[in-house]
Amino acid sequence: MSAVSVRGLSKAFGPLRVLRDIDLPVEAGEFTVLLGPSGCGKSTLLNAIAGLEDIDGGTIEIGDMDVTHHEPSKRGIAMVFQSYALYPTMSVRGNLSFGLRVKSTPKREVEKRIEWASRLLQIDELLDRKPSQLSGGQRQRVAIGRALVQQARVFLFDEPLSNLDAKLRTEMRVELKRLHKELGATIIYVTHDQIEAMTLATRIAVMRGGRIEQYATPDTLYEQPATLFVAGFVGSPAMNFLRGELVGDAMRAVRFGAVTLPLNGYPFQHGQVARDVVIGVRPEHISLAQDIPIEATVEADTLFMEPMGADTLGWFQCGEHRLAARLSPQVARGINGRVRLNFAMDQVSLFDPESEARL
Amino acid sequence: MTAASAQARIGRIGLYVLLLWTCLFFSIPLLVVIATSLKTSDEVRTFSIFSLPASPSFAAWVKAWLSACTGLNCGGVHVGFWNSVRILIPSVIISVFAGSVTGYALSHWRVRGANIIMLFLLLGAFIPYQVILYPLVKMFSTIGIYSSLPCIISVHVLFGLPVMSLLFRNYYAGLPEELVKAARIDGAGFWRIFFWVMLPMSVNILIVATILQTTGIWNDYLLGLIFAGRDNIPMTVQLNAISTTSTGVIEYNVNTAAALLTALPPLLIYFTSGRYFVRGITAGAVKG
Repeated sequence: MSAVSVRGLSKAFGPLRVLRDIDLPVEAGEFTVLLGPSGCGKSTLLNAIAGLEDIDGGTIEIGDMDVTHHEPSKRGIAMVFQSYALYPTMSVRGNLSFGLRVKSTPKREVEKRIEWASRLLQIDELLDRKPSQLSGGQRQRVAIGRALVQQARVFLFDEPLSNLDAKLRTEMRVELKRLHKELGATIIYVTHDQIEAMTLATRIAVMRGGRIEQYATPDTLYEQPATLFVAGFVGSPAMNFLRGELVGDAMRAVRFGAVTLPLNGYPFQHGQVARDVVIGVRPEHISLAQDIPIEATVEADTLFMEPMGADTLGWFQCGEHRLAARLSPQVARGINGRVRLNFAMDQVSLFDPESEARL
Repeated sequence: MTAASAQARIGRIGLYVLLLWTCLFFSIPLLVVIATSLKTSDEVRTFSIFSLPASPSFAAWVKAWLSACTGLNCGGVHVGFWNSVRILIPSVIISVFAGSVTGYALSHWRVRGANIIMLFLLLGAFIPYQVILYPLVKMFSTIGIYSSLPCIISVHVLFGLPVMSLLFRNYYAGLPEELVKAARIDGAGFWRIFFWVMLPMSVNILIVATILQTTGIWNDYLLGLIFAGRDNIPMTVQLNAISTTSTGVIEYNVNTAAALLTALPPLLIYFTSGRYFVRGITAGAVKG
């Protein structure tokens, strides 16, 4: 059973089509992240699911009930906002209980839920304070608490961590992961931060220009990106792209510049194959060539090294292409001048430069 | 001393001269009025208007309050005072409330044709009263409440609404939209969000609006004269009647005392609430 099922959703602001024919099934207990650059429509999609935004076409089902035309409060959802949106004149307790009081929940039940949520989020000491007396992280907890007490079927998060500083963000990320695990809740979460997306999600929907480019598990998204955009957007530093062409019997190799590299059983998706391709190689799949035959390697000039602690990013110039390689610090220290690089060819992705789709 | 600093010094002196001159310009008439109100009639007639009262007394104030005459009516300005209060309280409450609801609706709810409504509000805020006086008189006559308390109250509410709505709209537009979204998800509707979430955050702007409306309505003369009716004439209209009355000797001391009594309420408001006024204006201007 799907907890949330969005079908054929579209939405336009005047002539601008911000959501185009979106399909998004979310299973119960799933942590779905909507990921994309600003303006891709991810927040609009979340608002549409919440019922805060009218839609032009399509349907939204939550828990097998068509809620396309329901009020936000009748959809069985709770939401956490980027700016927290705590009611500034109410105490923390007032903030947590507001929605329950509106729905005339019995007093004892309200007390019970506040106690449960505040203990879970470790805000039970703060119940009588006003939001202005809380730190950013505490406000965030209260905002999450306000969603939790609703005991909704689906929790919606709109960039909840983007107002926190880096350290706090990492802490809250772990906290969110713990909550998801503990409660088994269904969550739809909007962010433009790919690390948040990769660490939290059970499935990620990468959006661009009002469309979902790929909806898959973090691993699939990272290892087999469906489009050039997804490949470039997910991963830091970004995937290296090289222009080349397919050669040989049954397109068994790829050539760019003077080098031809073998494609050992690349899983072509459609059989039909374009001649020109874009080769995508992750930085961690480039290594310094040592005992590998010269013909299977690429020659490049060292540009500079970026030590990151656990590993070092090496930047190389190879013809017209600039390549990033993730190297171990020990290896990186010795590098200078002209080097030979080896690509892990069983890990590369190939894309059609025309359609930008994965081959 | 360099030429530049000499120039700066001359500029500074010029500034202080100007400030002093401005102070005198505004304070001398006030001092004259206060001094005159504390004199006896004889003293007013025989001495210069700039002379200080020989033996200050509040006799003229008491007379102005209790028994100053307008024509044959010698009830003093306290009659007008209570009329003004009766007009003021409902007018202020209704116009501030209506303005805040309108401003809230226009800033946080997608009202059909909100831009057109805003345009009319802006126009309404800038239309001179004189233009619509006659049609208004006609309209009130037609529905049969012309020259009555409800009539003058509705006029004040109508004329106050554009500015009040704009004031509140701008204030509420500065509050985060997500607050209303959160409340909607919590299940609150239009009115509950207004009374539970928005109004508690509006204390400063409510004070500003109340001050604006109170002083505006209290100081109004024209509308009171035309719409209030003989039984409800506000203090300002009565003051004018007292000071232009042509029978007998003109009692300048009583007239000035009546004028001061009339001006007292708005003055008191400014003195006691200036702090909130400044705070409220800036609270509305700065986002967040």
